[in-house]
Amino acid sequence: MTGGVVRYATPKLGGYVVLTALGLLASLIFGRPELAAVAAPFAVVLAIGLAVSRRPDVRVHVELDRDRVLEGDEIVLEIELDARDSAPRLELLVEVPRGLELVSGANPMALRLGLGEERLLELRFRCTHWGAPRLGDLHVRTGDAAGLLVWEQTLELGTALRVYPRPEELRELVGPRETQLFTGNRVSRAKGEGLEFADLREFVPGDRIRRINWRASARRGELWVNEFHAERNADVILFLDSFLDARRDDRGTLDEAVRAAATLTERYLLEKDRVGLVNFGGVLNWLRPGTGLVQRYRIVEALLNTEITLSYAWKEIDVLPRGTLPPKALVLALTPLLDDRAIGALLDLRARGFDLVIVEVSPLPYAETPPGELGELAFRLWKLRREGRRFQYERAGAPVVEWHEGAPLTSVLEGVNTSRRHARARV
Amino acid sequence: MLALGLTGAALLAYALATSATGAIVAGLVGVAASWSVSAWTRGSGAPGGTVLAAVGIFVAAELAYWSLDQASVPDEAELLARRAAGLALRASGVIFLVACVLAALGLRPGGGLALETVGIVAVVGLLGIVLVLARAVYEAER
Repeated sequence: MTGGVVRYATPKLGGYVVLTALGLLASLIFGRPELAAVAAPFAVVLAIGLAVSRRPDVRVHVELDRDRVLEGDEIVLEIELDARDSAPRLELLVEVPRGLELVSGANPMALRLGLGEERLLELRFRCTHWGAPRLGDLHVRTGDAAGLLVWEQTLELGTALRVYPRPEELRELVGPRETQLFTGNRVSRAKGEGLEFADLREFVPGDRIRRINWRASARRGELWVNEFHAERNADVILFLDSFLDARRDDRGTLDEAVRAAATLTERYLLEKDRVGLVNFGGVLNWLRPGTGLVQRYRIVEALLNTEITLSYAWKEIDVLPRGTLPPKALVLALTPLLDDRAIGALLDLRARGFDLVIVEVSPLPYAETPPGELGELAFRLWKLRREGRRFQYERAGAPVVEWHEGAPLTSVLEGVNTSRRHARARV
Repeated sequence: MLALGLTGAALLAYALATSATGAIVAGLVGVAASWSVSAWTRGSGAPGGTVLAAVGIFVAAELAYWSLDQASVPDEAELLARRAAGLALRASGVIFLVACVLAALGLRPGGGLALETVGIVAVVGLLGIVLVLARAVYEAER
């Protein structure tokens, strides 16, 4: 955690040299002794200051209280200073990356350390944005007593912080149309071992006694047994469109989409579903469906590294390896519907029979109507084109729900479920 | 003369407002020149106000460079108090030093061309030594 020390002269040293030189020369040239007297203090400060100047020996130890936090949490950076020498003026500056906000403590700060003095400084930061910010370098600048020379050293903190998106409260999830073979919490349409009553049938040898429905049997005069819906899990693929995002200041559609993906990952995994991730953008990456805590961390780690990478390469869903999109999987797409490649890939998925639900992270709050009549017309046409796309998906059997910034995700998912119920009723 | 002094003061104010280090020197030189010309036109050798002027210019320079530090990184309270005390101490030292210098110079105010040449060479040599020393230490540490 050490860097090279750079020593340099302060503007004061240069200024005092010039003042001394000018004073003494003017005194000699004009024969005015008082000018020499005025220059003398500067000369004395220079001479004594440079003669006794030495680099203060201060040891710095930096520690972060934790390296994995949720969005909105606070972290404390402890800076331990141990002065082996007196430091007349010590300046400290921590480079704060985007996504962290100083809550308490001073940054930068200037302080004085006496001989052998130890100080513990605490800087408290709030993690305002998900991501993997690397707490920047710590710049330590020590000056001599006269303020003529400074020594600057940069310490690489090298602490990679993981700020996970804070999960939202969800009342319900989008249920998949089809379940898989493994045991889970979802009521399957197939009959098997489970808790949800499905039907009655006649007793056949091999049926368990405890499944006999005695009331029905008494009424019919022969043995009848209860049948139950099997409890199975589902495969859920979160499709994150990272080709483009609409952004204003430090907020954007990708931020919302990543937060939603993290929330959905957590909730689906709690339901014992297998969750996978397809990050479809300039840089393509994917995670095959899996279950458990390890899968949750894998997905969230992958989400933290999500960023918009500009690419003109045309990409189709074929580029994904087999197994990434298992049959009967529910594909939950989080997209601003801005890039034709993502739009085409989603239509392709639907055409291949995947159960597709599109959550459109609306870019409208981030868009401004261009000035003038033509601008207004273009904006309206753009919105109409988006409506047309939505209709195209609906016609293909994939519900599209618009998610506006600030609206709770749970209400969006409820909207999806409602539209799917209506679609089923129509069928 | 007044214009020179005002220009110096204005330059100093500009330097403090914009953290322009070069303007600090120019401002101080302007103020010092204004005072010097004023003293010269009034005749007499070393004027009585020299000590006051020397302390004033020195304190102004110290405060100007201090304010530059404050503009980038503000001092914590303890450091601020210590620096203020240090400045007061240095200002007292300047009074003593200037008084001594004036007393020494008063013994022989003018020394002729040869002595002045020696003086100029001495000043240039002193500054050269300071610069060489500073550079040597810098190179060694780097």
